[in-house]
Amino acid sequence: MPSHADLDRQIEQLMECKPLSEAEVKTLCDHARAILVEEWNVQPVKCPVTVCGDIHGQFYDLIELFRIGGNAPDTNYLFMGDYVDRGYYSVETVTLLVVLKVRYRDRITILRGNHESRQITQVYGFYDECLRKYGNANVWKYFTDLFDYLPLTALIESQIFCLHGGLSPSLDTLDNIRALDRIQEVPHEGPMCDLLWSDPDDRCGWGISPRGAGYTFGQDIAANFNHTNGLTLISRAHQLVMEGYNWCQDKNVVTVFSAPNYCYRCGNMAAILEIGENMDQNFLQFDPAPRQIEPDTIRKTPDYFL
Amino acid sequence: MDPSSLGALSEDGSSEDKDQPLPLRPTSFDSSLPHPPARISKKVSSPIDWNMYFDKEEDVHIPEATDVFHVYTAGTEGPVVFCIHGGGYSGLSFALAASKIKEKARVVAMDLRGHGKSCTEDEIGLSIDTLCNDVLAVIRTMYGDSPPAIILVGHSMGGSVAIHVAAKKVLRSLAGLVVIDVVEGTAIASLFHMRKILSNRVQHFASIEKAIEWSVKGGSLRNLESARVSVPSTLKYDESKECYVYRARLEETEEYWKGWYEGLSEKFLSCPAAKLLLLAGTDRLDRSLTIGQMQGKFQMVVIRNTGHAIQEDVPDEFASHILNFISRNRIGPNGIEIPGLRRPQPPQH
Repeated sequence: MPSHADLDRQIEQLMECKPLSEAEVKTLCDHARAILVEEWNVQPVKCPVTVCGDIHGQFYDLIELFRIGGNAPDTNYLFMGDYVDRGYYSVETVTLLVVLKVRYRDRITILRGNHESRQITQVYGFYDECLRKYGNANVWKYFTDLFDYLPLTALIESQIFCLHGGLSPSLDTLDNIRALDRIQEVPHEGPMCDLLWSDPDDRCGWGISPRGAGYTFGQDIAANFNHTNGLTLISRAHQLVMEGYNWCQDKNVVTVFSAPNYCYRCGNMAAILEIGENMDQNFLQFDPAPRQIEPDTIRKTPDYFL
Repeated sequence: MDPSSLGALSEDGSSEDKDQPLPLRPTSFDSSLPHPPARISKKVSSPIDWNMYFDKEEDVHIPEATDVFHVYTAGTEGPVVFCIHGGGYSGLSFALAASKIKEKARVVAMDLRGHGKSCTEDEIGLSIDTLCNDVLAVIRTMYGDSPPAIILVGHSMGGSVAIHVAAKKVLRSLAGLVVIDVVEGTAIASLFHMRKILSNRVQHFASIEKAIEWSVKGGSLRNLESARVSVPSTLKYDESKECYVYRARLEETEEYWKGWYEGLSEKFLSCPAAKLLLLAGTDRLDRSLTIGQMQGKFQMVVIRNTGHAIQEDVPDEFASHILNFISRNRIGPNGIEIPGLRRPQPPQH
């Protein structure tokens, strides 16, 4: 394992939005893999902890999140996936979170989102960003290989079940999830795919997801899952909600989304969910970071439309 | 999916130049390999007949009107994939894709008013309302009051027509909506340049072969085989000029352009049917669609290494997206078929 001094220096550098060298990323991912491989598909987490949703490469908003929620390791964090793609700083964002994980493994939990995948990152920006910033795809490969080891879900004090997407018709119990072989690329279908892609829905029962992957699940499904597994709440991310958090399904499910003004255009607030020492819940909402230094993006008008 | 240009993706279509990602299992997110530059010789730029790809063509006479719409059909079973081409194209824009889709579904591709072999009283009256009424009239004339399950597929301007038809909620058997490479925000932004783009096109061709060659060399199509079947139907012979000119008089339709695209994103999101948005090269989502996509309201697939006419440039990949969409949404010949998926009982609260 690297020295604390090295990691602290890297954290300091990354907090200034300066990426690590390719060699440093390789070493980092090796260390992170050794830690993550020991974690569970349903990773136990203690309170107090602050639960966060999608970040999507919005680095300065992640810094704002730490300002609002407290710095690691003073605050324990649980991130529910989607660190990369869409925003301008996927590299710096995911590197920072992984360094924090290696430095403070018991105080930071990072789950897998549907964007922590080789296929999705080739379309939505992380792959291109790695090429642009490093001149080759090695860093993309180190990270996407690491993503295979991220835990799929977490369980806070045996009560609050946290994951990126939602439930799966193939998974009735937490033990079903514990039995999955997760060390692989996110499949196109099946239980592991569903955990990262599904959404709650106003309609009862299971439905075909309009997204093209995962399912929609109704309140009956969520209430039954919580009852069966002795849970009080399912906390998930994956969907943009304008206030940053949104209760649904008779408070069986809450959505937390932590990328304010998503894609620099959606006008939404972000939120994080503080779970206190007595499991008390407190939402903190925040706006985009005041200091938004975005690269010039020249959006070429397409030469079509007819 | 999640259903994405957002800075990190290049907007200039330069993805062909750089290293390709590692080969992965084929999925809706894969890139296809770049096409080699088309080598054009006289011999290979000859026209190809529609009947290599479609099974039948017919003229649909609209009752109590003089309008006659030309349609191409293929396949005998499954739901109907009803294809609406973009401005200046024709139903044959879907020829190559139809020959694949027809293995599992029926394909109907119509020539819109003022295009292809359709013959209407007002050839330049391309208002969005008129185009929607034309599509509905053709569907009604072909299928009467009990049409089979229909998936509307529209490219560019035709995508707008498909969305508007779907948003009217008058097609009771509508089971899916597929829109090819058109997004309100960027379409409206590009209207400003349209007149110039139209006038910059080569206007006269000594032969059909020359027009086919120009479409590929000029980059509007990237698949020579598709150009050979689709381009001839976009031309007509001008006796006085003794050359081929464009069949569709798009320059005379400017008053309708804005109406094709205004409010399109909200209309798209309001359609109750399953929705798929296919985009070429990079995602150009505007605010409404970004929010809608991030809330999981539709499926989006970005296809790399294709031009604007995805169905022509990469017809096999396009066809497989259509068939996957049909099977994933369990669209059968009579509608959505979901045995036991959604439980029938009402909500508990």
